[in-house]
Formats: sequence, structure tokens, C-alpha cells
Amino acid sequence: MNRADQRAVLLRFLESIRKPDRPLNDLSDDDHLIQSGLIDSLAVLEIVAFLEQEFGVDFAEGGIDPSRLATINRILDLVAQQRA
Amino acid sequence: MLLGAATGPITEPLTGRRWEPDEVRRQVLHRAAGLRAGGIRQGNRVLIGYGNCLEFFADLLALWTVGACAIPLDARLTPFEIETLSRAARARAYIGLGDVDADLTRKLEALGTTVMLSDAIGAEPIDPALPVPPYRLDDDALILFTSGTTGNPKGVVHTHRSLRARWFSLRGHLGLEKYRRTLCLLPTHFGHGLICNALFPWLSGQELFILPPFTPDAVMRLGEILDQQRITFMSSVPSVWRLALKTARPPSAGTLQRVFVGSAPLSAHLWRDIQRWSGTRDVANAYGITETGSWVAGTTVGEFEPEDGLIGVPWGAVAAITREGTADAPPGVGEPCGAGDVGFVWLNTPALMKGYLDRDDLTAQCVTAGWFLTGDLGLLDDRGWLYLRGRVRDEINKGGAKVYPADIEAVTEQFAGVNDLCCFAVDDPHYGQNVGLVLVMTDPTPARLRGLYAWLQAHLAEHQMPVKWFLTDNLPRTSRGKISRDRIAEVCKGLSPLDLRAVLGGAP
Repeated sequence: MNRADQRAVLLRFLESIRKPDRPLNDLSDDDHLIQSGLIDSLAVLEIVAFLEQEFGVDFAEGGIDPSRLATINRILDLVAQQRA
Repeated sequence: MLLGAATGPITEPLTGRRWEPDEVRRQVLHRAAGLRAGGIRQGNRVLIGYGNCLEFFADLLALWTVGACAIPLDARLTPFEIETLSRAARARAYIGLGDVDADLTRKLEALGTTVMLSDAIGAEPIDPALPVPPYRLDDDALILFTSGTTGNPKGVVHTHRSLRARWFSLRGHLGLEKYRRTLCLLPTHFGHGLICNALFPWLSGQELFILPPFTPDAVMRLGEILDQQRITFMSSVPSVWRLALKTARPPSAGTLQRVFVGSAPLSAHLWRDIQRWSGTRDVANAYGITETGSWVAGTTVGEFEPEDGLIGVPWGAVAAITREGTADAPPGVGEPCGAGDVGFVWLNTPALMKGYLDRDDLTAQCVTAGWFLTGDLGLLDDRGWLYLRGRVRDEINKGGAKVYPADIEAVTEQFAGVNDLCCFAVDDPHYGQNVGLVLVMTDPTPARLRGLYAWLQAHLAEHQMPVKWFLTDNLPRTSRGKISRDRIAEVCKGLSPLDLRAVLGGAP
């Protein structure tokens, strides 16, 4: 799966957890997911579970640097690094 | 209000800002002078519209220094809700940090509530003639609003005496040694975070580290913060732990000596996970109620195995269990439960609130002969250990933050086309519970639903917003015509919730 495919999968997931009144298409790939109001702060947990399940990202070892989950682009960078 | 000769130092780990005790004292004196210059006098009630930073604690102590009563608010409240609370408290002033919303300023000024800025009052020259704090022990010190932000506010009034009773009893039962370096990541507008997690150690001269409340970025860095700041004690709520256990690396420095978890049910499973992650077996379930000055019992019982519902022993209180849950049958009058029998939990403590602000009716429903009817169901076993088995209080516990269905209903029922409704708790994998809403509406078109959503957004803080909406033709009622929230929650499990994303993003 290339980055564009990964992005499409990620966007489908974000669509399922976004706040009802915050459309995903208002967001750029560099906008902060929580600060923009797209998701609730605890929805980060759902992103973590999604990345573990969908892309096999392993957070168990070193915990999570929250800045790496802040935007769509940073999440895709994290996935790419884990898969490298 | 200090319990020792001085406060401890206070630090914001995320910004690196830190005030030593001398600087705390200087800040308090500046602000006390600023408050007096702004007309604040003994007995005035003053809202504090922000929290969880150095300035908040200085403003709080400054208010007590001039003899005023502090009312810390949830910074997430809407202008409508703050206006409601200010009206109920007849607040003399509101202290904001940074810019204060123009709409809020208009609303407050129309009520005669002066808007003050923390930075401005902190810039006032110290008044060398500032009198010794003029309050008496039975003067009001703190009002914490626990519900009614949209209609009939319920404000818990604590006096200087009841607060001191809580702090001194905690010192007697818990000591100070493990609280040398205390971390607070709980909101400072509710009892658990303010009275116990923050003020109990800090006013006794221990060092306080204050974080913004429930900030995922900070929680994900929790292990790192604990190590960097060599934290010895922290308290939190189960939902924060669920996030931390999943996302934060454990601490490695071994400084953490005690952890409290409170404000929501703690399962034995999560309890053991916290023990493993934190590296200490001294993880206690702390039972606290705002009305009793928060922490009133906990698992300081020596060796124990975590159990669902286990609380432990009272701190500065006597607990009793009776078969009746009405104020006319307190312990000594009502039939007591035997060891191991579930009944209504009562507490007798000198830290009990003075009462609910201007709501003698509510106070009379739960306070009698010195006893407080908690609204919890529980038991005392043959060792005298307290266990909780459920609640009879009408509230939704969203990750430790209490949401009151009546607050949501009071706003929702004002919207045209809403004929009947009920707000209730829905299960939530992260928060434990969240807010559900079932509606009987005339012509519930997408446009009307969008209008209702916007109406609720304008009047409710974000954490109060219903996340699952249901439509139905009628609500089930008891034979007496009453609504049972539990029954409605069960019925709604068989209904499909509205797809709010489609409704809000769709065509009219």
C-alpha cells in the first residue's frame, strides 16, 4: 500500500470518528486534528487502536509522541517510518 | 488560609514556569491589592473563569486574603452558562486570564458583575497597609457549582472551617511525606482536583506541579513528566489512566510513591494495570464527594488485593449504611445494614459543606443531624472497609466529569418542535459513560435537527453535548407518568442512533 492508499484508508477512518459538525473536507493534511476541532481529545485512543490494527504500528515499546499523531501528514510519516 | 508557614513552590511542567514560595507570596499580595483597588471586599463572591496555571492559585489566595469567596469555573462553559452561574451567585466580579469573550463581558456587566483581568490585578503595587486576612472560619471560602449551569445552579458552599477540616484530617490520615512533589492534572474547578490533589499538599508547604486538565498530549507524556519532575504523588480518574496506559511509556526513575484514582468507578483490572505501569503497589481508590470536601475515604489499608468497588477506610469521617435513603432516616434513626449488606451510604464529617447556595430545599434532602446522604449505594464489610455498589444520583459520569441530564434537558426543551425528551447515560469505551438524548419531535427534518444542534452548542459546554441522538414517537413512562432514565437507556439500545454527521453535513 503506497502513501496515497494509506491516506485514503486513514481519511475513511477519520470520517468515522470526527465530530458531527466538523466536515473532514475542511481540513488540510497539515491541520492539527484536535486543535482544529475535528476530533475529541480522547479520540486519539481510537487513532492509536486503528494504527495498530490497520498498519501494525507498535506503540507498546516506547509509548507515543503525541506530536506524531497531530496531523494527517504526521500520522502517514509515522506509518512509513514503522514500515521502513 | 495557609496550613503551614508558606505554600510550597509551584511549577507548570509544560511551560517551565515556576514560582518559589516567596514569589507566590508576592503575587498574592499584588493581586490582593488589585482586588481591593477594584472594589472587592470581605464577603464578595468572585468567579474565576480559568484554572490550572500559576495565576489561578495566586488569584485564589488573593481572594481569601481580602476575605472574598472564590468560585472557580470550568473554562469550557459557554457565556450563557457563566451568566446563569453569576446570576445565581450574585457575583461581584469575574476574573479572566487573557482576553475575555465580548459577549460574556456584556452579559456579566448587565448583571453588575465586574470583569477583571488577572494580569491587571497582578500589576497593582503591593499595599503595605493590607490588613491581616479579615475572614472568620465560618465565612464562605469556596463555592463549587456541580450542576444546574443551564437553569437551577447547585453550588456547594465550603467555609474556611470545612476546608481546613478536610485538609487537617487528610494530613492526619495520609501524612505529607509521599506528597512532597505532587502532580495535578485534574481540573481546578472541582473538588477532587482543587481541594485535595492541589491545595492539600501545596498549602502544607509541599511542591505542586500543575498541568492543563485532561490534555492528551500531557497524558501521553506522563511517564516522561513523572521522571523529569521526580513526582512522588499524583491523582487522576480512570479515563485518564486508560489513555496513559495505552499511550505513555511507564516512568523509570522510581520516584512515584503513591497514586490515587477517583471520581469514577475503578475496576480491579484497571487498578492492577495502574500498579504495574506506575511501579508502585500504593495505588488507592479515593472516594470523594464535593460536598464532603472531596477525598473522604480510600484504600490506605495496608496489604490488599484490588477488587471492583473497594474503597477502604474513611479519612476524617464516619461512614454508615442504612436501608433507607431519605433524609428523615439518618443513621441512628433509620434501620442500619449489617456487615456486607448493601444500602445507602451516609457520611459524617466536620468537612461537610455549609450547604447548597440558596437552596435550602436541596440541602434538606441530603443533610440531616450532621449526616450527609451521599447518593451512593454500598456496604461496610466486617473489617469496616467501605465498598461502593452503585449510585442513585442522577448524573452521567463522563470520564470523571459529571454531566447532569437535567441541565441538558432544560436547554433542549426550549427548542421549538421538541415535544418530549430524555437525556441519559450511554456506554462509552473511553469515558465509561457519555451523553445520550432521545427526542420526540414534530417534523424532525434535517434542517430542524441542525437548528437544534446549533442551539445546544450555543448553550452547552462541549463536554455536555449529547453524542448519541435517538428519535422516537413516545417515551416509556412509569405508571405514575415518570420517566425512568435507566429504562429509556435500555429501550434506546434497540434503536439506531441518528447519523449526526450525515444530518449536519447533508441537504435541508
